[in-house]
Amino acid sequence: MKPKLVLGIVSIVLFTSLLMYNFGQSISTYVNFEQAEELASAHVVGVWDNSLEHGFSRETMQFSFHMKDQDGNVRRVIYPRPRPNNFEQADQLVVIGTMRNGIFYANDMLMKCPSKYNDPNALEFVSFDE
Amino acid sequence: MIGTIGHILISGAFLTGLAAMVVYALAANKENEALNRAGNWLWGLKGLFVVGSSAMLIHLLITSQFKYFYVWNYTSLDLETMYKWSAFYGGQEGSFLLWIFCGFLAGVGLIRWTRNPYKAPVMFVMALTQVFLLSMLLGWDLFGLKLGASPFRTIAQEMPNAPFIQANPDFVPADGTGLNDLLKSPWMMIHPPIIFVGFAMMTVPFAFAIASLWTKRYHDWIRPALPWTLSANVFLLTAIFLGGYWAYETLSFGGYWAWDPVENASLVPWLIGTAGIHMMIIQRKSARAHKGAIFFAILAYISVVYQTFLTRSGVLAESSVHSFVDLGLYGQLLWFMLVMIGLGIGFFLYRYRELPSPEKEATILSREFMTFTGAMLLFILGLVIILGTSSPIIGKLFVPNPTPPQIQFYNDWSMPIAIMMAFLTVIGQALFWKNHTWESLASALMTPLLITSVATILTIILGDVRNIFDMIFIFAAWFTVIGNFAVMFDLARKNYKVIGGTLSHIGFGILLLGVLASSVYNEPLLDQRGQNYNRLVAMGEMFDEEGFPITQKLEMFELYLNQPKVINNRMMMTYEGYTLTDSPRPGTQQYRIRVEPLDGGRTYYLYPEVYPMLTSSTPDNIDWSVDPDIRSGIKSDMYLYVAGSSYVAGENEKLDRRRNIANVAEVETPEFQQIEFKKGIPVDIGPYRFTFKDFSPAEERALPDSTVVGIRSVIEVVHRPSMQAYELEPLFAVYNKDGQSWTYAPPLEISNWELSVQFTRIFPESDSIELTIHGLEEEYEEDWVLIVAENKPFVSIVWLGTFFLMIGFSVSIFRHWEREKNTKEHTAD
Repeated sequence: MKPKLVLGIVSIVLFTSLLMYNFGQSISTYVNFEQAEELASAHVVGVWDNSLEHGFSRETMQFSFHMKDQDGNVRRVIYPRPRPNNFEQADQLVVIGTMRNGIFYANDMLMKCPSKYNDPNALEFVSFDE
Repeated sequence: MIGTIGHILISGAFLTGLAAMVVYALAANKENEALNRAGNWLWGLKGLFVVGSSAMLIHLLITSQFKYFYVWNYTSLDLETMYKWSAFYGGQEGSFLLWIFCGFLAGVGLIRWTRNPYKAPVMFVMALTQVFLLSMLLGWDLFGLKLGASPFRTIAQEMPNAPFIQANPDFVPADGTGLNDLLKSPWMMIHPPIIFVGFAMMTVPFAFAIASLWTKRYHDWIRPALPWTLSANVFLLTAIFLGGYWAYETLSFGGYWAWDPVENASLVPWLIGTAGIHMMIIQRKSARAHKGAIFFAILAYISVVYQTFLTRSGVLAESSVHSFVDLGLYGQLLWFMLVMIGLGIGFFLYRYRELPSPEKEATILSREFMTFTGAMLLFILGLVIILGTSSPIIGKLFVPNPTPPQIQFYNDWSMPIAIMMAFLTVIGQALFWKNHTWESLASALMTPLLITSVATILTIILGDVRNIFDMIFIFAAWFTVIGNFAVMFDLARKNYKVIGGTLSHIGFGILLLGVLASSVYNEPLLDQRGQNYNRLVAMGEMFDEEGFPITQKLEMFELYLNQPKVINNRMMMTYEGYTLTDSPRPGTQQYRIRVEPLDGGRTYYLYPEVYPMLTSSTPDNIDWSVDPDIRSGIKSDMYLYVAGSSYVAGENEKLDRRRNIANVAEVETPEFQQIEFKKGIPVDIGPYRFTFKDFSPAEERALPDSTVVGIRSVIEVVHRPSMQAYELEPLFAVYNKDGQSWTYAPPLEISNWELSVQFTRIFPESDSIELTIHGLEEEYEEDWVLIVAENKPFVSIVWLGTFFLMIGFSVSIFRHWEREKNTKEHTAD
């Protein structure tokens, strides 16, 4: 084998493994609140529990609410920004941040909004205006 | 009726497209000119069908026929006509139609300009891609196998099980749900057409590459393919720019680039297309790199199809801010992708042994080697981004249910690759026009290196750069700009037509400088309180009520009506109120923020808006959206939006109250209210406007004995509906009695309105007073806004770099197109 070819293959293998290693490090998996206790940064999927108190405090400039994760754990979530657009509408929330002492401090929050396509009931509010 | 015609026209287009494909294939196989002409006629006929069905869809949209699902879902009666046009490509089906239309036009261009022997096989590939795209719109139901989603389906067809359809199959909604408010922007009107022109043109190099494999003519295809690829790239770049600008201007995520899958979907084909351009240039100049040129031409289109698959099949639904709905096209898109990969890569491997390879390898110090390496770096960057975007699929190798990678992943990989590219552009360009030895190269680069060093050191000092990695980055970027400029300077004196490449590379360098400056020196603007708070957070000395250190920094501040605040010790910001308008959207509040730079710069105003999202708001729940205002400057941009306000809070409270009427008792107005007034600033409470105009001296006889302080204030009260006005001069006095201080504030009555006013406190340091007012029916609410603001330096440089790239590419298009035209005239002779 030519030395250049060997060098090429070695560098490709090196590059690929480094890339894949780094990629593996930078993704994580969605967890529930209990698992999040052990992680430095966690993605938790859940829904807003609007039966518990929620609101934006102008004193601390934080929005706090309660979220129920997919396994039914309810925790308080603190989000350091105002209530985002689409918050109430979202049928699923993804909070990204850290769990400390039973409170989830979200650095980021994604809202997944219901698709108008698959929800025929969404039609009703515009259509029945007799 | 019209819907049925449209539906038939699409089916017709599909069938003629299929026929054209077969005829072109036969023509290519037999090299039969008559068959080729027949194919052209079929292509034209298919185009007529496509134009016809598009016209039908536009007609339905303009005339608001809400019977049709697409019309109902993307328009409404109050939508401006120009946005009814953009509703045409607001949904998946319409955007496919637009893509097909652009592909058809590209085909017409190819029919006109392509030479033999490539004509028929090129058109075969074009027809094949059109057939796949058209199949997405068929809406056929073949024995339970659903093929495509027709833009002409009615609501009854879309949701046959909905209760109102079962009750009345001919039900037509009175109004549509409307176009997503975020898309109602002039930028969004032109962005999609440009991107689909780019996608359609990216099909052309793919078609030529396949045609060269088909005809085994591996040399000449790049001559016509090169200008097409360059054009595709200019369109994609323009589209990326427009998308970035729209995101910057309209969305509140505060930047022009977020590594979002849909953004990546247009960037990756651009990167691979650019890699292809580099390979084609080597092939044209040196008759080598045939394999690379063909491979990248194929890959560029495959990346278009792959990214289309990712963004439209619902795979990425959770990781993108762009909400693409799943139309159930997963299977069809997968087939589209697999066939393109099979045809492209499969054919390439099949012919691999026959492809010409260079007799001897290029030395390191040659333009071939440098350009080749540059192309490989572009390709690798593309791969990294594809990997990141594919995390929902590829991430499964590592974890179940993977999340998208952190932004850091993209930055960590793209920045070093960009630095390597930066150095290569200069060396590559220097070698491209002149042969060099190591010595001569070093001497040629000496002056640019010196200037670069000076520029870098100046930048580091002026910008207070501390990070070593940033320093290398700045050096690389300046080197790209200056080194390429030196090459361009030499070239322009000889032949200005060939400077396209150097111009583009200069643009790349400028872009790098802009990206670094605007991301690293992005500075949040805060008031004194926020700055102190964040300083403590950074030092780890801010604790929450349970004693844990707080790690989240503040990103916003409050402004009260007409109370200026010093922001970042650099400027004074004042909130001067808002106006409610119904244009362009009902319920829009336009806030007025005055900014006065403290260093004596000119005062200016910003007008951020908050509006209810029409499409997702209901009578019970308003979905608020913000529209930032940006003041662009050469040195920096001021970016600001209103994240909350007393108006929005009040509206939300009203809704809450309406929702829970049973639970909440009638809110009682307090008997009296104590309100602070600043001199000269009117305050509205209910129908009244109070203005504290000035102080006036109090006469001796009105004051109690042993008065320490005694003063009157001049208060104007206007009943706004009737414009009736009173002027009062309530008295405030502090006097001593029995060794204690007492205040004396006799109430003054306005008997017509059953109001009484007392002057109860005084704040001399802020020129303010407090009045206690009895008899008001409305509760006074403070008028405040929450502001998120950022200072973004040198965003203008990012745009400037992009423009340079566009101009550079365009110059190259003209050059290569001219040469291609000249060759043609030669052969005709």
